[in-house]
Amino acid sequence: MVPDVHELALSNGLRALLVRRSSLPVVASSIWYRVGSRDERTGETGLSHFLEHMMFKGTDRYAKGEIDLLTSRMGGSNNAFTDNDLTGYYFSLASDRWETALEIEASRMRNCLLDAAEFAAEKNVVLEEMAMGEDDPWTSIYRRTESLVYQVHPYHHPIIGWRQDIERVPVETMRGYYRRNYGPDRATLVIVGDIDLDRTEGRIHELFGGEQPIGGVREAVLGEPEPEGDRRATIRTPGTTTRLAIAAQTCRMGEDDDFTLDVLSCVLANGKASRLFRDMVLEQQLVSEVGTVNEPRLDPGAFWFTFELSPGVEPTRVEDALRAQLRQVEEHGVSDEELRRARTQLTSAFLFEEETALDSALRIGRWDAQCRGGYRRLAEVETRYAAVDSARLQSAVARYLSPMTWNVVTSLPGGDAERGNGAGDA
Amino acid sequence: MRELDLQIAERLLDNGLTVIAVRNPTAQTFAASAVLDVDMRDEQEAERGLAYLIGECFDEGTRRRSGVELAQALDDIGCSLAGHCSGAAVTGPAKDAEPALALLREVLFEPSFPAREVARVKDEIRQEIEVDLADPRAVAQQRFRREVYGPHPYAHPEYGSAEHIARHDPEALHGFHRRWYVPRRGYVALAGPLELDRGLDVLAAEFAGLEGTATDHRPAPEPGLPEPSNVHLAMEREQVHVFVGHPGIRRTDPDYHALVVMDHILGSGPGFTARIPRRLRDEQGLCYTVHASISHTAGEEPGTFAAYIGTSPAHRDRAIAGFLEEIERIRQDLPDETELVDVRDYLTGSYVFSFERNAQLARHVIRAKRLGLGFDHLEEYPERIRAVTREDVLRVARAHLHPDHMVRVSAGGS
Repeated sequence: MVPDVHELALSNGLRALLVRRSSLPVVASSIWYRVGSRDERTGETGLSHFLEHMMFKGTDRYAKGEIDLLTSRMGGSNNAFTDNDLTGYYFSLASDRWETALEIEASRMRNCLLDAAEFAAEKNVVLEEMAMGEDDPWTSIYRRTESLVYQVHPYHHPIIGWRQDIERVPVETMRGYYRRNYGPDRATLVIVGDIDLDRTEGRIHELFGGEQPIGGVREAVLGEPEPEGDRRATIRTPGTTTRLAIAAQTCRMGEDDDFTLDVLSCVLANGKASRLFRDMVLEQQLVSEVGTVNEPRLDPGAFWFTFELSPGVEPTRVEDALRAQLRQVEEHGVSDEELRRARTQLTSAFLFEEETALDSALRIGRWDAQCRGGYRRLAEVETRYAAVDSARLQSAVARYLSPMTWNVVTSLPGGDAERGNGAGDA
Repeated sequence: MRELDLQIAERLLDNGLTVIAVRNPTAQTFAASAVLDVDMRDEQEAERGLAYLIGECFDEGTRRRSGVELAQALDDIGCSLAGHCSGAAVTGPAKDAEPALALLREVLFEPSFPAREVARVKDEIRQEIEVDLADPRAVAQQRFRREVYGPHPYAHPEYGSAEHIARHDPEALHGFHRRWYVPRRGYVALAGPLELDRGLDVLAAEFAGLEGTATDHRPAPEPGLPEPSNVHLAMEREQVHVFVGHPGIRRTDPDYHALVVMDHILGSGPGFTARIPRRLRDEQGLCYTVHASISHTAGEEPGTFAAYIGTSPAHRDRAIAGFLEEIERIRQDLPDETELVDVRDYLTGSYVFSFERNAQLARHVIRAKRLGLGFDHLEEYPERIRAVTREDVLRVARAHLHPDHMVRVSAGGS
């Protein structure tokens, strides 16, 4: 279920994880930098994400737009993403031309131009992306909830940053951030596909071996103290729907409780047979949608409950129903049948994370970047899920999901009234 | 680079259903998709939203089990099933394809439409309509389709309206289902590691016993070229969402491949390589999302030519001017040879990536059959793209883009 990974370590600190997979003549090449919004300080929020945009705007070897053009000419695709804990870049290319991706990554690891004019133009794009998020009710709710869960830890600020920081940040600050965080000793290459292992290893040495390590260590960040009680906020969003998000701080990725919380998430809200769906959607009809997410991170992550309320239902009734369901699990546990179904669902989902070469590269890269113990921990996943029993679920609910530690954001209809009227011809 | 080499086999069952097997030898998972010969075009005015409602209710229960029991049966084998207005699709671990196909058959041909669950799903759809009414992009898109499609059924949202949904009861669902959801002229495809003959046998064993008489379709009225219009729907938001365009083409249009190439030169290339995204996002920084295409929505019925941007209200007019100038430019001048070669290389080189997933394979083969294109067409696509010339691009741009008939709709900040 977990592919054979060939591991390579260069003397400058770069690691490469290579997987040969020849079912299709394609290769997914990705590079993962151990820097994300977690590493940003006051005044520089959003820099990791903004820098990710700038990595396509020219290097010493590739002019602005050339990375996209080359990728396109080769019939491939590329993209990038910024997370709280990491920043990733990837290419999907045919196996007879994929090495161009390595050449591009080698160039932009240390030699991205960060031209001032391009920086100014791209700042507008980032601000438009921010505006797009501000218009989306769930994006606003997630950001507000996250800022309640984390009061001290830098997970407090959104990945895209605070608007004022983005507006004010000068290009020099980004250049310094890039120099401090992008280098071989902060990166891992993950390559999956129809590759020749020896040749790939040789090309990696050739292209990245000359880079000097940037040194230093990833700075420690302030830990989030134990919450003193529940925290609440109410926001207004346009439309007539009331939404509710409840989140609580949990554990790190790959810890025992992480697997337990995955199983709990399935038991509570994966599909129509799950507990919350049956009780709150089918029987009481309090909500039209319910979701749970276990979101582990490098530092303690969060467990999320999200609800779209049925018309006329008071949010407190939803909270009461959730409390009752969690109390039920905490006091009485869950059935063997529920546990078995949850494990089957998780094992099946795990198979789909391996469906394409890119799926596989992204999974290996994420585990390696976020989980202590790295990608090797993937081999344990099935046995870890098998070890989760009812007692563990009970103890996880007691430990992490007590209402005393909830962070609750209620989004009430009314954004229209405060900001103007709904749609009408003009 | 290796060309696509698909392993596909089909069998027409006595009941008129075509079953298709696609072999993906190393896959650990499977996908099965069923598409019957029905969609919103078959609804009478009073029935609007019925096909959508039926699709949403497929997993609410069958004659053999309740919705919860159905969900448990799927969970037991780690499978996921989703309905839509023309059928349903199921995915899961390859070893469980057979029991999953049995559940797919059951939801499609034996739905029970229980009154309580239908009422609940109707409430959910009403809420979905409310959410869309508060979303300026959805508001703009729905109005754009109304302006573009005129008398054609695609002028209306697939879910109908709150008034239509309120009228539909389980009896109406059963009646529409009996009339339209029959095996004749339908397709079921299974993609996964099974040998082709075995795949066909499994499908035939599951679906051969079904019966039903197909009803003939009424042809949908053609959406003619609209008069130019300019509509702004004011909503207090950070961004404004703009659609500019007119009716498009059918997938069977002989100019389809040349229009795919034109699209990628004009507005839907990867990254910011196409003219419109390069100009409006990469050079002018007006937006995060922008694209334009005529081929993307081409289907059995005409799609749309639509250029879209989400931008700040202050940039709206500049963005529309940019769209119109680039549309005019591609109608006036031959594209550069390098633009053409770049796009052809992209489209032919990237084609293989649209066949990586079982769900994609199942979708491709059903679409090829429904459109009457045949399976060879799937493998011939790169050759057809390579045959497109600069002159073809100019010709199809002039023939299919109509600057004098552009509908402009925006919703959001003013």
